[in-house]
Amino acid sequence: MQNSSSLPRLDDPNVLAQRLIQKAHNQDGLPEIVMGITWLLISGLIYAQFALPHGSIGFKIAVLTLAIFGPALILGTPAALKWVRRRYFIERVGYVQHKPAGRKQIGFGILGVVLVAGVLFGVVPRLSRPDGWLLAGTGVFGGAIVALGGRLPRFLVNGALMAATGMILACSGVSLDRGFAILYGFEGVVCLVSGGVVCLRFMRQPLETGE
Amino acid sequence: MSAKIQRLGEVDRIIHEPARLMVVALLAAVKEADFQYLHQSTGLTKGNLSVHLSKLEEAGYIAIQKTFRGKYPLTICRLTDLGREVFANYRKVIRAAL
Repeated sequence: MQNSSSLPRLDDPNVLAQRLIQKAHNQDGLPEIVMGITWLLISGLIYAQFALPHGSIGFKIAVLTLAIFGPALILGTPAALKWVRRRYFIERVGYVQHKPAGRKQIGFGILGVVLVAGVLFGVVPRLSRPDGWLLAGTGVFGGAIVALGGRLPRFLVNGALMAATGMILACSGVSLDRGFAILYGFEGVVCLVSGGVVCLRFMRQPLETGE
Repeated sequence: MSAKIQRLGEVDRIIHEPARLMVVALLAAVKEADFQYLHQSTGLTKGNLSVHLSKLEEAGYIAIQKTFRGKYPLTICRLTDLGREVFANYRKVIRAAL
């Protein structure tokens, strides 16, 4: 704990507030655990598509589940996180209601999706060995999002590992589906382990009561 | 001395205190938050935070609502319109002077 005389410099209160919010968001390791589970599920569904015989019921279920529930899994993680936190962790992490995303944030999100789609469909198919570029690009881009989004040392390590895995897979010449299954599976395990350790340490802290 | 720097003397002293500035900045960035969240995210001791919240409430910059979520008591804090206005003005003065 710190008293008011040992606070960090307050050059820009908004930047400071965003850092504090980000730190509070990641203090219990839950975001990483939820992301880890999501990546492992996606990895498993991708693996099932090349492990199961084409046209089999299992294969069809895996394809449909990934197509329908894949985006829902990714988009639904914030809501799942919020529910778990309010149901089981509220006494430790407290309650916060964030502001809805502003026009600027939504605009940046849409721009990001358009840029990624442009690179994916416009640039990558024209490159030699597009599978390799796609794996490397996913690793580096995903790693950058993890590192910049978390803004904590463990997220930097996590992002670097994802980027390195993507590049190693790209150089190894592995097929695209296998590469994605390995990349997402590895990222899922890393997230689960780091989130699990942080969560255990957080839960071991004595619960302070009273105000 | 330029007029902008001279305006530093006009900054709101209630908000200017570092711990209170941190609390106000946090509340400005969210819709509302409870005592435990502010305690966890600012790193202030509970006693210290409680005193600063009282001062901000007395000034009319934040509104405090005591409620329950199941068995868990919630002391929900949110920035008032006056608090938002004073904070925006504070940022404007500091930015202009620095």
